[in-house]
Amino acid sequence: MIRRLAGLLAVVALAVGAAQAQDELVIAFQGGAATLDPMMRNETTTISWQRHIFDNVTAFDREGNVVPGIATSWENVDPTTWHFEIRQGVTFHDGTPMTAEDVAFSIDRAATHPMSEMRGGLSTFEAATALDADTVEVTTTAPDPLMPANLDYVRVIPQALIEEVGEEAFAENPVGTGPYVFQDWLAEDYLQLEANPDYWGGAPAYDDVRLTAIPNGATRVAALLSGEVDMAVTVLPQDVPRVEAASDAYVSQVPGLRVIYLALDDVREDTPGMSEPNPFLDTRVRQAVFHAIDMDTIADRIMSGASTPASQFLAPFNEGYVEDLERPAYDPDRARELLAEAGYEDGFTVRLDAPNDRYLNDALIAQAVGGQLGEVGIDVEVNAVPRAVFFPEHFNNGNSTMAISGWASNNTGATLNGIFHCWDEDAGLGRFNPFWYCNEEVDAMIAEAITIFDADERAAAFGEIIEKSQTEDVAYVPLHYQNQVVAVAEGLDFEARGDGYVFATDVTPAD
Amino acid sequence: MTTFLLRRTAQALFTVWVVATLVFGLLHVAGDPAQILAPPDMNQIQVQELREALGLDEPIWVQYGLFLGNLLQGDLGISYYNGRPALELVLERLPATFELVLSALGIALVAGVPLGILAALSAGSRLDRALRFVSVIGISAPTFWIGIMLILVFSVEWGVLPSSGRGGPVNLVLPAVTLSLFSLAFFLRIVRSSFLEVLNQDFVRTARAKGLPRGVVNVKHALRNALIPFVTIAGLQFGQLLTSSVVTETIFAWPGMNRLVLQAMYRLDYPIILAFAVVVAVTFATINLIVDVIYGFVDPRVRHA
Repeated sequence: MIRRLAGLLAVVALAVGAAQAQDELVIAFQGGAATLDPMMRNETTTISWQRHIFDNVTAFDREGNVVPGIATSWENVDPTTWHFEIRQGVTFHDGTPMTAEDVAFSIDRAATHPMSEMRGGLSTFEAATALDADTVEVTTTAPDPLMPANLDYVRVIPQALIEEVGEEAFAENPVGTGPYVFQDWLAEDYLQLEANPDYWGGAPAYDDVRLTAIPNGATRVAALLSGEVDMAVTVLPQDVPRVEAASDAYVSQVPGLRVIYLALDDVREDTPGMSEPNPFLDTRVRQAVFHAIDMDTIADRIMSGASTPASQFLAPFNEGYVEDLERPAYDPDRARELLAEAGYEDGFTVRLDAPNDRYLNDALIAQAVGGQLGEVGIDVEVNAVPRAVFFPEHFNNGNSTMAISGWASNNTGATLNGIFHCWDEDAGLGRFNPFWYCNEEVDAMIAEAITIFDADERAAAFGEIIEKSQTEDVAYVPLHYQNQVVAVAEGLDFEARGDGYVFATDVTPAD
Repeated sequence: MTTFLLRRTAQALFTVWVVATLVFGLLHVAGDPAQILAPPDMNQIQVQELREALGLDEPIWVQYGLFLGNLLQGDLGISYYNGRPALELVLERLPATFELVLSALGIALVAGVPLGILAALSAGSRLDRALRFVSVIGISAPTFWIGIMLILVFSVEWGVLPSSGRGGPVNLVLPAVTLSLFSLAFFLRIVRSSFLEVLNQDFVRTARAKGLPRGVVNVKHALRNALIPFVTIAGLQFGQLLTSSVVTETIFAWPGMNRLVLQAMYRLDYPIILAFAVVVAVTFATINLIVDVIYGFVDPRVRHA
């Protein structure tokens, strides 16, 4: 009976399968685009989906370099004025030619629309004007060497069309200059695309592309293994071995942008969850924590290899990443020595706060870290709670002495200002600095570094700050980079990007 | 009859208002959507601008007044996250949820009721024990686990049914079966026990004693009486499934409204949560209204109660 039923179902399934075009590429993501208006949400999947339809003004390549998009080159005319050369001969999907005015309009809209989340990266923006057919001038309120990089936030939209049909209608029927043409979609569920044969970068390899959301990790991998989708983005650590064991799929992974770190309160005398004066005020205790944690074991046992022990707070392709900065070695004996030097031969007790539903395996990581610290005499009481409790009650509230959190940004200036700068509400600095880490020397170095126009000099200055705060101050204890893990069907070539973007244009049939 | 209808409609509207107000109140103690929405690189001034653009800088009673005024015009605001009318987003996904819930309820009824009758008629036998054992599994096994198991067997191993998404009827099979299992087992047990109870009552024994055929007694006398309380329970189960299909929707990537609302809750997207609450409240009030009207026709006592 069951066999006959299965046979019947197989016939139905075959009929359905046969109806699908052979050359359609289906990519399953964890979520879907929130909106197709490219100036609203600054969120990786939303932008991944949108960038099939729209072109960026500039873009980051997978190594973190700023490369041309619609702007082919740029120069700094004076400290607050930039000129961007505009690509010629580009047309929108509806056939109208793209002009320098469209580019200026798009930059302006991203920087000034009240609902635009792109404004964060464009806070120095003053004005954008089309000087002539192939030049757009962007002026800033203060010298901003990162303006070309920040135009990675801007996707080019047709001014005349959006003004004619209105924002809402445009977002439901978007028209861009990108490699794929919009067909149909359902917010946060799927996006159906067709190749743009006249794309300036060359016609894409696949005629039809479907981007789809499968929120559950196990289902996402199952859909790949059963051949319903060609790629599964964001494979969870526990599913990695399943894909690796399968004969018709493989895993592509690379250290990602997100660093998971341990924050220690090194400022307050009396801290929550501790009975004695705060031991973390002593730098040696913070160094001991660094030496006591074995990230290789955590990567192996908890993350199934889907993480990379972090050498520093910045990801490998972040501007300012210090190549020769190494993670302090795992050395429990050294940790015990340091604790003894600081007067804690008998250890102490501390509460470790962590979210249990925000980062990959966050609660398990907290438990492992707690256990490892216990080995050297720091008795850790792990308090893993839902993010809805963790962030408002512990992390943003100072109700913690030791906490696990994560950070991801491809703008090192924003990272330094947000998390390494002393807290300054009026200036909007140190907004994400959880435990008031504050070193005025570091603040001065940040203020100087973000105004350096020479890219190499600036990266070196950023690196110096990272190195100083880590080796001298032990401001944070970086744990690991979450890997970007994509499972790919055999027969396709694809390499995951560290910044988490996934583009159909990066997929090619294997020969 | 007209007064009855008017009174019941007014009661229904009152219920919707109470639900909307309660949810509105609860949401506004939950946190600050602007902080959650704003990406890390926005400064405080920009976050404040965002708050103003969303109308969240107004005092809560002004926001409440605006909300009620708009609600009266059928406008539930624009989703903070998706930038589209919240009601539209919810209604767009309502058919998918209805499709799933009605299919699951159908499976549960078609399978659960006959199996319950079978179990009651063979009470104490090996078949009855087997059915009861299976129904315990159906009630206690987590939906999550069942869903993943079905996917592994039917999609990955056998490759006969799609694991996810909404498209043709084949896409509906696994999620509907998964969602139906609890109700199926529940119906089985309810029908079995209420049927057994009736079978042991005096009027059944009398009917049998006066020599009526067993089949006639079972169906005409016993089953009809046994199914009366069951109708109410099946109705309640529909409401229960309508809002509890979120796990099933998530596992099978089913684009229903519960998945949307779960995301909206993480993001404190007030308009979507409120639109969902209003839609669900209106649905329930409508169903109750229809039931009341039918009862009113059937039983005149209700009309004056």
